[in-house]
Amino acid sequence: MDSKAVGNEIQKIAGELFRDDKIDVFIGFERATVPLKSRPCFIGKDEDGRIENLVWDSFCTNNLAAFLQKYFENEPNRRKKREKPYPRIGVSVKGCDTRSVVALVKERQVIRENVVLVGIPCQGMIDRRKVQEKVGTAEIVSHRETDDGTLEITTTDGKTRTFKKEEIMQSACIDCRYPMPEGTDFLLEGEAKEPGDGGYGQIEAFEKKPLEERWAYFEKEMSKCIRCNACRQACPTCWCKECFADHTDLKWIGVGNHISDAMIFQIIRVFHQAGRCVECDACYNACPMGIDLRFLTKKIVKDVDELFQYVPDFDVESTPPLATFSEQDKDTFITDPEKG
Amino acid sequence: MSAEAKNPYIPYPVTIEDITIENDARDLKTFKLVFEKPEHKKAFSYLPGQFAEVSVLGMGESPFGIASSPTEEDYLLFTVKLTGTVTQELHNSEPGRKIGVRGPLGNTFPWDRMEGKNILIVSGGFAFTTLRSSIVYMLDKKNRDRFGKITALYGARSPGELMYKEALKEWQEDSGIDLTLTVDREPEVPWDGKVGLVPNVLRELKPSADNTLALVCGPPIMIRFTIPALQELGFTEENIILSLENRMKCGIGKCGRCNVGSKYVCIDGPVFTFAELEELPAEY
Amino acid sequence: MKDGVISKQDFPQFLNHLKKNAKVFAPVVTNGEAGFKEWSEEDSVEFSYSNLKLSPKGLFFPQTETILSFDAGSVEEVPSHEEKMVVFGSRPCDSRALTFLDKIFSEENKGYNDPYYMNRRENAVMISLACSDPCRTCFCSSLGSGPADEAGSDIVCFDLGDKLYLKAVTEKGELTIKDAGKVLSPGDESVRKDAEKQTAEALESMNNLEADLPSVKKNMDDSFDDPVWDRLTRNCIGCGACTYLCPTCYCFDISDEERMYKGKRIRTWDSCQYASFTKHASGHNPRKNKKERLRQRFMHKLSYTVENQGEVFCVGCGRCITQCPVNIDIREIITTFAEK
Repeated sequence: MDSKAVGNEIQKIAGELFRDDKIDVFIGFERATVPLKSRPCFIGKDEDGRIENLVWDSFCTNNLAAFLQKYFENEPNRRKKREKPYPRIGVSVKGCDTRSVVALVKERQVIRENVVLVGIPCQGMIDRRKVQEKVGTAEIVSHRETDDGTLEITTTDGKTRTFKKEEIMQSACIDCRYPMPEGTDFLLEGEAKEPGDGGYGQIEAFEKKPLEERWAYFEKEMSKCIRCNACRQACPTCWCKECFADHTDLKWIGVGNHISDAMIFQIIRVFHQAGRCVECDACYNACPMGIDLRFLTKKIVKDVDELFQYVPDFDVESTPPLATFSEQDKDTFITDPEKG
Repeated sequence: MSAEAKNPYIPYPVTIEDITIENDARDLKTFKLVFEKPEHKKAFSYLPGQFAEVSVLGMGESPFGIASSPTEEDYLLFTVKLTGTVTQELHNSEPGRKIGVRGPLGNTFPWDRMEGKNILIVSGGFAFTTLRSSIVYMLDKKNRDRFGKITALYGARSPGELMYKEALKEWQEDSGIDLTLTVDREPEVPWDGKVGLVPNVLRELKPSADNTLALVCGPPIMIRFTIPALQELGFTEENIILSLENRMKCGIGKCGRCNVGSKYVCIDGPVFTFAELEELPAEY
Repeated sequence: MKDGVISKQDFPQFLNHLKKNAKVFAPVVTNGEAGFKEWSEEDSVEFSYSNLKLSPKGLFFPQTETILSFDAGSVEEVPSHEEKMVVFGSRPCDSRALTFLDKIFSEENKGYNDPYYMNRRENAVMISLACSDPCRTCFCSSLGSGPADEAGSDIVCFDLGDKLYLKAVTEKGELTIKDAGKVLSPGDESVRKDAEKQTAEALESMNNLEADLPSVKKNMDDSFDDPVWDRLTRNCIGCGACTYLCPTCYCFDISDEERMYKGKRIRTWDSCQYASFTKHASGHNPRKNKKERLRQRFMHKLSYTVENQGEVFCVGCGRCITQCPVNIDIREIITTFAEK
């Protein structure tokens, strides 16, 4: 897929939406100031000039649904009904972004009628950590994506290296079952990558390992955590006004980086994502310490899928499992915990 | 020098000697604290306007304006409103309990400038604490001559919410201070004070701005309407003195939390003139 | 002796000698990432990094530390930190950052001395590693510093390939070199010239923002309520990663942890980017929007600290730029206000 053409199409649609007064803000992506990254681009009504900054490439990794919730929130303890109308937001979305929007709509955090979704068939995003690993400590100074799916990078020593996309794709994208957005207001032409299988095999392989090995891995990853909360902030479905981790009355966990505090924080955060996590890798990308957070999130996605036959997909009508009860719900985790 | 004095994070051990309930709603209590060690009492030398961090080991710390005057030599007084975990623990305490105090912290009311001046005190709600300290200090026989006319206006939502009721009665009899009390609305109980919001009653009283400094402490909304009233009466920005509150932890200018612009409420304040505040962003 | 030379191969002998009287911290690769670790003979010191993920500030101001321990309402123990430390491998920007933190934690700051930080600092010898190959995201030279800046160092070490040249900057550094005796050979003119050449080339390779810092401060002070801040801060997701990685950020929280009346009061890193940072118990929050909080970060670093400590609290290490998930770039902030 020609990413320049996609970028132009997004610019065209954004321009039309502003001209027809359908939106007040457009959120897309623009070039970043560092290589191997594109950054969110906000365009307001009187900022037409910025439309030409909109791009699309394999570095548009951020889940833009994370920015939507704040446009629709009411002040806490607000007694009067809101007088100003809610803004209308146009946003370019991949499959995972769309599913996060759907999850937020179900939780009444986003008003679907006020959002214009511009769906883009996703070819998968590149994980810049994987690229860096391949070049070791050398500094990458520029990159160039070719239309046949390779990435050319140049390091400070002047050397150029080429990688096939499959080698450096984000793990979340390799496993992704929903690369083609559905239910969006616009859908650009083009093909998405082949859907993955969800990657549950990795979890099953891990679960076969002995308990000590699994615990050692968990400890190793959690010992890196500096409790910066970047994972929580980057996640589109972590929107609680006051996170459980910040409560002082009752105080659930400490705020330091004792490993037990870090472990419990991650465990509870992941459990709170049950039925909501779309595995967009936003947490993994935001984490400054490079902790393998996607492993934990994948486990919860797998469990919810197997226990409740539910994965947060594009269906706005389906009820999230934690918001309902069905007689088919398994309770063997109570009656026979060893079997689960 | 004791270990506590060298390390500003270590609280002095104190015992709660007495607890007084200040208001009808029973969510304001005054704690009388006594130092366990005489050298700590000596080190805790303060002037009205300052605050201290009251420490409940196991729960945390909270900053409170010092309500006692340094002329009340044997104890410290803090009036605490029930709002969160530390204050709840304090409110659930009994006399005899050991807690901690770190301080004195912050700057004082500008006593150097106040020498020889008339003093106008305007206050509302439970911000009156450091002003109680100031009034007791000024009315003390040793100090009264240093100041001119002392006028005070203190308001609360209702008569039951006024604090320090015994002291208020004494001051109304004291010729050294002209005290007016007001409540927001006509109360259900017999009341011979004024009725009306503090800024409006202030306009009614028309205190003179001549050679006068105004000390103003109250909830943000009261301050917002009181300052224009004072300016109408002729008070300049340097002569309006305010005490700010912000969320604090260390109280010694290191944790970075309480800043308003480039000034830290815990070390550059909490006392600021209105002129100083005009230079700062409204982040308080 | 003002300087010394040692081959990289023999370098562990120098560290071993230092280890006799102090804990030695040096960059070692753990779990695939280079970081400061307490060095022992099995560890191989890493030299090939541009900069470490976490700065050495954590050695003096740990993420979590005990202020006091208590039992039944009385203070039991107050930790004091008298153990001697040698920190090898801090980049000049990070060592310089420590001198800024000194201004906050020492008596210089309104007469209050923070013994936890200051004791560690007074008992430490800093051996910085001068830069030969700055990153594109490094901009120390735009802030009055450079690849071999001596601020905060007792000794500056130059990596000349197969050998290391150690140059004493303070009396403590001189004593340390003198003490090493025969382990180090004396420096000579050619080694000094090589070091100078390396520094000059490194400096040459860096882009300079050409920003007049006093003008930046003035323009920022004048633009506090300017709508430019809406534009500069709307990408921010409030993750706080910038503040945790920043070598000059020092905001902290104090909380108590107890069990059955026994416990400790701890100090932990905190961030002005969190919503609850300034929230009053009444619920009032002076900085309730992300824009206000992000503005605070930049005002603090580029304006308030200049007024209070006489320094711009940024050393140009570039960590925030590399890690920010939405590519908010402090260099853009500086140039925006330089031009206004």
